[in-house]
Amino acid sequence: MPRIVVRVKVFGQRRDRRLFLPARARVLDLLERLGYNPQVVVVRRNGKVVVEEEGLASGDVIEIIPVVTGG
Amino acid sequence: MLKCSLCGRRAVYDRRYAGVLLCDRCLAKSVESRFRRAISEHKLLSPGERVAVAISGGKDSIVCLHLLADYCRWRNCKLVAITVDEGIKGYRDRSLPIARENAELLGVEHFVVSFRDAFGATLDRIVQLARRRRTGLNPCTYCGVMRRSLLNQAARELGADKLATAHNLDDEVQAIMLNYVRADLSRLHRLGPIYSPREGFVPRIKPLREIPEKEIALYALLRGLKVHLDTCPYAGGIHIEIRDFLNKLEANHPNTKFMILRMFDRLKPELTRCTPRFEVKMCELCGEPTSTNICKACELLKQLGLSKRRKRLIC
Ligand SMILES: [Zn+2]
Ligand SMILES: [Zn+2]
Repeated sequence: MPRIVVRVKVFGQRRDRRLFLPARARVLDLLERLGYNPQVVVVRRNGKVVVEEEGLASGDVIEIIPVVTGG
Repeated sequence: MLKCSLCGRRAVYDRRYAGVLLCDRCLAKSVESRFRRAISEHKLLSPGERVAVAISGGKDSIVCLHLLADYCRWRNCKLVAITVDEGIKGYRDRSLPIARENAELLGVEHFVVSFRDAFGATLDRIVQLARRRRTGLNPCTYCGVMRRSLLNQAARELGADKLATAHNLDDEVQAIMLNYVRADLSRLHRLGPIYSPREGFVPRIKPLREIPEKEIALYALLRGLKVHLDTCPYAGGIHIEIRDFLNKLEANHPNTKFMILRMFDRLKPELTRCTPRFEVKMCELCGEPTSTNICKACELLKQLGLSKRRKRLIC
């Protein structure tokens, strides 16, 4: 199985990490892997806001911004 | 690249409950038109009225402030902003400057009223006292009651006809569920786009009530608004469980939140009919309007050995 590697940053967390995913993974798969409900985050792919069905490519920089702050 | 269902530009949002993908422009337009529709449909504001908006610096209230500023310019209303500084170290002290900055940017007069000035204690202190005295009440109870009381008083002192708060679809549906779970009929029937209790209370309006939280966040982000995105350190308990439960339902069954809201709105006239109207009295301790002899805020303060220190909030 070919795989891709993306860099993931979560807003408000200092460290980013590299994540290996299946070749045809979408943003949604990445969120699922990390345990985020798409309802509560906005995702930027290489600086642009994307929908969760958008596919990923090796080398992408993904930012996850939790937007449900409650208060 | 996925495209906007309406105009074909690059999509930024999957509005699953409506089965459409939206680009930044179409999403912004939709948020703005829902805001205006809520105001006209529920007659939240009339031309020339004086509106006070509660702003914390968080995304919802900052979006509400910007949308109201546009609206008030158009409809000739007078807008002022109020921030309640509860005194939450590391949280409110960071969002308050953002609230001030946005108000300044829009040329909206901004007033800050604080727990410390009004009650002689910050929320941090109140929480400490409550733990020591084992009152069994959680921070959100104190914060909610006291903030509501100060907001109403400040809005009244400022001569506001309406008090706008930034409750979004998620907030409203969570409140519906919470009051169901707690079987609190009197709180339940107060929910809705507008609540005008009685004399002494400034009618409260919620123009963002039909906009999902994520759409408001996206709107703030795409418009480049400066907002505070941290979580309140006291957030917890059943509120969070209900929020997560509703988000899970919505993810698996899109449109759930709107269905809960619509059902509630249909039931509301019946709820109002079976909830007794209360007589407005003046709190014996602070003079604020209340349905009992002593208002809820004073009752909570009294338990902690505190009392309201200031008669007037806005000098
Ligand atoms: Zn579009
Ligand atoms: Zn009182």
